[in-house]
Amino acid sequence: MEQENTQQTVQTKNNLAIPVAIVIAGALIAGAVYWSARGDSVAVAPQPQAGAENTAGLENMNPIEDSDHIRGNPNAPVKIVEYSDMECPFCKRFHSTMQQVMNEYGKDGKVAWVYRHFPLDSIHSQARTEAVASECANELGGGDAFWEYTDRFFELTPSNNQTNIATVLPQIAREIGLDEAKFSSCLASKKYDKHIQDDLNNATATGGNGTPWSIVVTASGKKYPLSGAQPYEAVKQLIELALQEK
Amino acid sequence: MRNYLKNLQVAFGEVFANTSYIALASTLAIAAFLFAVWLPNFGLIGEVFSTSSAPLAAKLKVVITLLGGIGTNFSFLSAGYTIAIAALFGVNIAMVVYFLKRTRTRLAGQDVATGFGGIASGALGIGCAACGSFILTTTLSSFGAASALAILPLRGGEFGILSVVLLALSLILISKKIAVPLTCNIK
Repeated sequence: MEQENTQQTVQTKNNLAIPVAIVIAGALIAGAVYWSARGDSVAVAPQPQAGAENTAGLENMNPIEDSDHIRGNPNAPVKIVEYSDMECPFCKRFHSTMQQVMNEYGKDGKVAWVYRHFPLDSIHSQARTEAVASECANELGGGDAFWEYTDRFFELTPSNNQTNIATVLPQIAREIGLDEAKFSSCLASKKYDKHIQDDLNNATATGGNGTPWSIVVTASGKKYPLSGAQPYEAVKQLIELALQEK
Repeated sequence: MRNYLKNLQVAFGEVFANTSYIALASTLAIAAFLFAVWLPNFGLIGEVFSTSSAPLAAKLKVVITLLGGIGTNFSFLSAGYTIAIAALFGVNIAMVVYFLKRTRTRLAGQDVATGFGGIASGALGIGCAACGSFILTTTLSSFGAASALAILPLRGGEFGILSVVLLALSLILISKKIAVPLTCNIK
């Protein structure tokens, strides 16, 4: 009888072992999360609250204006507003996809590409500086220089904070014919901080919770959310659908 | 180790000799895979089907082509564990159903806990690998999860790997129960 009781106790302990281990693991993860959240000096990008896809938030998208970086026909029936992080490898991939989109739909004026900044400071500490650099390219060389700079940046850099920005950013500026001294002076200034923060705030307000985050706007003003680096074929089908909207 | 493999072989042979369990495992695995790949764009799919005036064929094309995201919106690692989690999930559930139908008994707490732990961990690690958009980031945003992910070497991919390990462990446990012949123990 006593042996049976001992066996039952051992069995009960055994049954509880894994659930207890999972609870302990959960507590450790929660502890790590709490501990990291206490790193007050680290700038953390605003993270959207639960509810990954909030399509109602799309209406919060800032209207497309002349001050935006627009590639292609500004009056195109379909506009793709992309919120991008220059250190995100998926943004690098999606940048090529969007170049392909513009090669096919941009020439006929059917699609315009609007680029906005969404630097995720918490995981890509260099992204904000690189966003400023692209704004400086725009200031010194106009819209074409912005796109030339951005294209070259994504082509040249490996993402995930592996770029030596002290040498690469001025190098790209030099390559595209910008005044290097003025570029460095602009980069050191804080003049575009607010602009980039406004873009970032707008990205999260529209429901973006990661990059690349895009919003496809139809001629009638209807908006479709597109999350992540989706393949060219998916973007193409979404454009075709948007072009058919009445 | 050899015993575990033998149990797996015996259990697989026994459960999947019946085509209805193959169908169940396949259906669940495909459903889990579709869920994982479409997850970041549920909002888009909802909008396309609820508000778009485009023809149905155009809507279906959008949804189907989004499946290509497994190649562009996932890293090699995250695509690998997403597929593994989906397959292990389907096989696990099919084997649990077989076991419950055969023995008509309840599973021990540890078996349920391991399988549940694997699925829960998968829910954290799975999903779009696009920068910063793990479910974990969203769920635990108020606790600064993004910072926590930043200090993990695989940026949250650890949860996907943990999920594969737990689901594999769960499979081993359930295989052992299926493979062991039904006997009455002598006390």
